[in-house]
Amino acid sequence: MKASGFKYLVEKGVDNVWKNRMMAFASFCVLLVSLLLVGISVLAYLNVTSIIGGIEQKNEVIVYLDDDTDDEALLEIGAALQTMPNVTEVRFYSKEEAFESLKESMAEYEVLFESLGDDNPLVDSYRIKVSDLDDITDTITHIRDLDHIYSIRAPYDFVNILVQLRSILTWVMGALIAAMVVVSLVIISNTTKTSVYARREEIAIMKYVGANDSFIRIPFFIEGMITGFFASICAVVITWLVYDAVVNTLQNQVALLSIIGLGSIIQFSSIYLPVLCAYIFGGAAIGAIGSAISTRKYINV
Amino acid sequence: MTYSSGVDALNHVSLKINDGDFAFVVGSSGAGKSTMIKLLLKEIDATEGRVIVNGYDLSKLRRRKIPELRRTIGIVFQDFRLIPTMTVYENIAFVLRVIDAPAKYIRKRVPYVISLVGLQAKANNYPDELSGGEKQRVAIARALVNDPKLIIADEPTGNIDPELSYEIVDLLKGINACGTTILMVTHEHDLVRHFGGRIINITQGEIVYDDIIEGSEELVPVQTGGADES
Repeated sequence: MKASGFKYLVEKGVDNVWKNRMMAFASFCVLLVSLLLVGISVLAYLNVTSIIGGIEQKNEVIVYLDDDTDDEALLEIGAALQTMPNVTEVRFYSKEEAFESLKESMAEYEVLFESLGDDNPLVDSYRIKVSDLDDITDTITHIRDLDHIYSIRAPYDFVNILVQLRSILTWVMGALIAAMVVVSLVIISNTTKTSVYARREEIAIMKYVGANDSFIRIPFFIEGMITGFFASICAVVITWLVYDAVVNTLQNQVALLSIIGLGSIIQFSSIYLPVLCAYIFGGAAIGAIGSAISTRKYINV
Repeated sequence: MTYSSGVDALNHVSLKINDGDFAFVVGSSGAGKSTMIKLLLKEIDATEGRVIVNGYDLSKLRRRKIPELRRTIGIVFQDFRLIPTMTVYENIAFVLRVIDAPAKYIRKRVPYVISLVGLQAKANNYPDELSGGEKQRVAIARALVNDPKLIIADEPTGNIDPELSYEIVDLLKGINACGTTILMVTHEHDLVRHFGGRIINITQGEIVYDDIIEGSEELVPVQTGGADES
């Protein structure tokens, strides 16, 4: 195909969009909504994953030991913890250390500590880190089976919520992507159908004078791609605005930030390029495929 | 040729149009004229027998190759089939764009063809602004523009004023004189009698007459009305 021929086909495609603008607008809207829903759920998924990762890095499981545990048992427990599959780091935290840090953090209640004298009410503990929060429940059950365990404190509930949220998001995302791709394809191919119908005379003549299949199809293909392209540009802008607004709101929630950590929320500026590429690619691909389906069906050369 | 509905449209037809011929195909409605054109363009396939057009054996021609065949044939329809949103020039240039001709060639070739049919003054008009005779001349220019070996004219005078019919056939005769084979389907016997030449009469799917007659050259009134497709 010569350059002039291709230019002609592209112009035809642009022309199609304009001549068929009502239907083109309909497919634009559907594509926009689809891209937004899919995009935002993917971004939510990425953030939850990032937050879970952040908690995994900084959070500890604290294993309190019985007060009467002797040194030998202490070492045994330490060794046992070390060999557990999900455990990455084990650190002993003696009751003296704990008492000192407690005193420090409650300096204004010195009187209280004086009344206790040398009597340390705290117990020894191990602080461990786990590699995978998904398996934390299993790990804790294993620890419970050891002797001399007084109690275990883990970021249980919060992690459970996040892990559940992540698995729900995975499902929602999968369903959304599948549904939206199907809906978008149907709408786009319908738009193409009306476009083909509007130009049936031209197409009939093209066939009689010996146009190749591709020559007839390319303008419709381009029409779909253009619609997809504009939908994705709009989707990127909307996603950006919504995302930044949500991130700003979250960053004002000090209580929440103290749990999830400041760095766990992904900033839009750090991911805008892949987001932009994914949107444009997704939009243009769905637009092009939708029109290709339709031309295959309605243009029999 | 038998349609899937069981209708025999053409039966045991054996016909050879030689290069450079000008042949009229006549016959009443439903005689099989349109079926013959469809066979020649490979819109449909013959259920039996062979169709060879411009050296292409259509029963063996693959779908992908149909455009190649059609580029060697020009077609003129009864209802013109011009694209209403394009000017005369664009309608004709469109054919060359479809076959991916160089822009330079299009700029040279289209005005030349328009001058052949005498429509220089109307090159930038839209089909709606033209008379029936002018529209058909545009259609002929369009059929001619990619220099086909064969032009099929399907009732080209069916939708235009009788007195203009002669002009159209004259134009086709002129094209034929330059070496293009012309197959013109018509049911206007007066026109045929006037021009003469090779006449092929199809009746009920069979060729009942195929001979060359002498043209009378007298201007006989052309019957109008009943211009239906066969």
